[in-house]
Amino acid sequence: MKAADFSYHEATNIQDAINIKAKDEEAVILAGGQSLLPALNMRLSSPSCLIDISKISGLDDIKIDGDYLFIGALATHSHVMKNELVLKRMPCLIDILKMVAHPAIRNKGTHGGSIAYGDPAAELPALAVATNAEIIVSGQNGDRSIHAKDFYLGLFETAINQDEIVIGIKYPLLKQEQAILFEEVCRRHGDYAMAGLIANVNKIGNKVNDLSLVYFATGDKPDSADKTAKLYLENGYDYSNLKNSLNSEIDFAGDLNSSSEMKLHLATILIKKVLNKLEA
Amino acid sequence: MDDLKVNQNPKLGSIDRPNSYIGRSVPRQNAKKHLDGGGQFVDDLTLPRMVHVAFLRSPFAHAEIKSIDVKNAKQSDGVIDVFTAKEIDEVCKPWVGVLGHLGEMRSPEQSPLAKNIARWQGEPVAVVIANSRAQAEDALELIEVDWLEKDAQVDMETALDPNAVIIHPELGNNLFWTRTVNQGDVDKAFKEADAVVETTLDFARHTGVTLESRGIVADWNKAENKMTIYHNGQAPHMMQHIIAKHLDLNEGLVRIISRDVGGSFGIKVHVYPDEMAVTAISKKLGRPVKFIADRLESFTTDIHARCHKISGKLGVDKNGKILAMEIDDLSGIGPFSMYPRTSAIETNQVLNLSGAPYVIPNYKAVGTVVFQNKTPMCQYRAVGHPIAVAITEALIDKAAYKIEMDLDKIRKINFIPDNSYPNKSPSGVPLEDLSHQASMDKLLEIMDIKEIETKKKDDYEKGILSGYGVISMCEVTNPSPLFYGVGGAHISSQDGASIRLEGSGAIHLSSSITEQGQGTEAIMKQIAADQLGVKLESVRVTLGDTDATPYGGGTWASRGAGIGGEAVLKAARKLKDNILNIAAAIMQTDKDSLDIEDNNVIRKNGGEGISLQKLAETVYYRGHEIPKGTNPELLATASFLIEGIPFVFTNSAMGCQISIDQDTGIIKINKFWAVEDCGTQINPKLVEEQIRGGVIQGIGGALFEECVYDDQGNMQNATMADYLVPMAYEMPDIIVDHVTTNSGRSIIGAKGAGEAGTGGAPAVIMNAINNALKQVGAEVISQPITPEKVLKALGKI
Repeated sequence: MKAADFSYHEATNIQDAINIKAKDEEAVILAGGQSLLPALNMRLSSPSCLIDISKISGLDDIKIDGDYLFIGALATHSHVMKNELVLKRMPCLIDILKMVAHPAIRNKGTHGGSIAYGDPAAELPALAVATNAEIIVSGQNGDRSIHAKDFYLGLFETAINQDEIVIGIKYPLLKQEQAILFEEVCRRHGDYAMAGLIANVNKIGNKVNDLSLVYFATGDKPDSADKTAKLYLENGYDYSNLKNSLNSEIDFAGDLNSSSEMKLHLATILIKKVLNKLEA
Repeated sequence: MDDLKVNQNPKLGSIDRPNSYIGRSVPRQNAKKHLDGGGQFVDDLTLPRMVHVAFLRSPFAHAEIKSIDVKNAKQSDGVIDVFTAKEIDEVCKPWVGVLGHLGEMRSPEQSPLAKNIARWQGEPVAVVIANSRAQAEDALELIEVDWLEKDAQVDMETALDPNAVIIHPELGNNLFWTRTVNQGDVDKAFKEADAVVETTLDFARHTGVTLESRGIVADWNKAENKMTIYHNGQAPHMMQHIIAKHLDLNEGLVRIISRDVGGSFGIKVHVYPDEMAVTAISKKLGRPVKFIADRLESFTTDIHARCHKISGKLGVDKNGKILAMEIDDLSGIGPFSMYPRTSAIETNQVLNLSGAPYVIPNYKAVGTVVFQNKTPMCQYRAVGHPIAVAITEALIDKAAYKIEMDLDKIRKINFIPDNSYPNKSPSGVPLEDLSHQASMDKLLEIMDIKEIETKKKDDYEKGILSGYGVISMCEVTNPSPLFYGVGGAHISSQDGASIRLEGSGAIHLSSSITEQGQGTEAIMKQIAADQLGVKLESVRVTLGDTDATPYGGGTWASRGAGIGGEAVLKAARKLKDNILNIAAAIMQTDKDSLDIEDNNVIRKNGGEGISLQKLAETVYYRGHEIPKGTNPELLATASFLIEGIPFVFTNSAMGCQISIDQDTGIIKINKFWAVEDCGTQINPKLVEEQIRGGVIQGIGGALFEECVYDDQGNMQNATMADYLVPMAYEMPDIIVDHVTTNSGRSIIGAKGAGEAGTGGAPAVIMNAINNALKQVGAEVISQPITPEKVLKALGKI
């Protein structure tokens, strides 16, 4: 379990990293390395070059940017969890990150890394989609912003170009009547979930008047369930109806810990579990 | 000193004296070494001219090797050589994993590297020797093998079918071993029973997952004809014999050194083909060779365990008295029986241990062990116990429900009474010094079933399914020669200890028992210091070196404290006797008027004594001052083995309380209770660690762990992300308590404490889950009990 040979480049700034990535199709970005390094050691991936961006300064900022909370790509999960702005403006992110692996991994793993890697079982891509976040990438032609829902194309496939690097994520600031609710079911704490749900809720009092549902660990990318959300708004929680709706809307893919049937069941149950939190 | 436990063993002397360390939770000194990163594991070792290896392993469960081309691999950077079976077989003779004392076992010869046919995914086929492991792995990719994939016999349940794939054509079929135990007349008894219950349970394959993976450095010294092996095993003297035998070396010139070992659980007590290949490579090249299994190799080549399907039937009369029990067990062990302990023992223990706490006048058990194209299976912690205990206790719960009797009551009226030992198990195995009645009483005292029952009813009203279980079990510990030796294996059942007083006054102890992180060194030190009358810190210990310790069996089957500890006790008493004889001569007094306390020979009636340091200085440097004819030996050696019975059994009672999320199928273990009777506890904290750690492994078996295979025999989850072991979040509160019945076989009175949790937790957890599910008419019968299985049982999916 030793990685095949690769070259290593410690990028001094973003442009430096972009230049190398543009030139070498087989080069990959190393940020926290929590997904990449095991893949290298298992020889599932053998890139020509690792472009280490972890020493680039200023890429881990967390700040208010207009109507957005901006989180720099290199902010580690631990760093985000301890941030005052996050606590005040997007506390759900802290609850979500508590479910991401374990402290040792959160100390190294980065926000941008998780967003860019696009693991369909990971929480942050689904959060980005559910909150209508903007993913900011930087490339040879400068910076551009990609809507999260346009960012994830398929299994580990994103809208990012060869010469581009994720430099940050902009989450729209939550409005007074808005809540982001989160729940997942996993075999062990910190594991990838068997199914997970992030709900973006608009409410008046405890009454939900608008809702979007985004699942993770159900298919090949974050799965939005707009029809099912609408059905819920119309008829409330009805297990069979919602289950049928989800079944037609999402292509559930089973894995080692849960069959597609199990995932469909959990996805349905999660609507109840998540919305129960409104009352709590 | 803290946490003094009342020592109930009068043979050990008063606890109210200086240096009475037995029974106290003194801190273990080697824990600090590990915290400080100061351990020395096999992978920490670098020797001059050392090379590294990587194995090419079969990607198929069953395939013919039509040809292997290593030309390009040999040209790769840093590569020294590439070997296949042909080269390795020139120096290493094959082995056969059978023993002679348990009826006919049939297993073919096995060599370090597969030749012609590979029989499991992960079987080593070729090996690259290079200057670094990374270079060896680079070259692996250049070896060209012409594979012809064959149908694989993956499923054990079809292994004996007429159309099964025969893994070893020379054997005619896939049967490795079978045994039937028949006591009394079960058929007649079932007819007379008022209630008969039946069940069939499934246990998935799982493995031991040691923190430190298997590792070996073999160093052949041509000039001295000496082979030195640095190995993270459990039984150095067994390995010494085996390496000498198969490499045709002088056994006396094979040295096995096992320094720090990061967990073993029985995984590291077997002979592995890749490790044998490493010794052969060192012999061929005359260079030190290192192999450290990576995690993928651990999952596909460390032995697996369990993999049983067992049917059982229990008959009781209307008062709950058990009349008969019958079991039929099937197990699949991969393509070879492991060497030298064989892969029959797990099934054998299932047959021996089922029903063992209870009076069951009619008992029949059939065990069948078959070959299949999966990783070899063999003895892992609590060998066979989880299956035996689960089937027994599941049947007893079922009978209790059927005749509407309390779960504790049905057990109490069927226990072999505490005052009836020596006695026999239903299978006919001799039992002695057990305490099922007292242990269950203690369990009920700390558990409060009434409160749990009330909570269960309240929970049910609230829509929560909760439940509980109580079980009792016997554990195989402290084996005698009747376990392996009688069958022809060169595995010592005797252990030795050697202890000396040095010129500085320090005490040095060596023992053939080994340390894998459980605290062997600490308890050996405690016994020696306690029996000798010296401060703990004046004793240092050497373990795990065939050139430096007495001969013996090592650490496995919970034998360290009971067998190795007794040897230390006897050696310490002999040394004390020698010291007092010398002191009596020097002090011109009667030996019986002297004792040793805090490193000083004292006069019991007061008056001036002599320090051990002064006494040693006198003996070693000014021997002329000792009266003529005094024996000057400040060195004593003793050995111990269990005679006359196969094992010294331990017993325990366990309880747990769980709740089930009916929406998700997630099980939460709210609390776990364990009462253990391991006789004398040398260090109660270490005993508790054994029990807690064992319970956690048992939770793994019950709820999480499974080596998942596809239909072609490919393991699907060979990573730590996909193979689920319980972690801190999954660990419940575990309340540990004790009953103490000393073993009459030794002075120290200790029995083993390492098997209970792993062996009993799967049964009590499954019973508790079924106790909860029963409220809605559901049941689970397959371990691990996953959320999906629970939801299926509940009819939710």
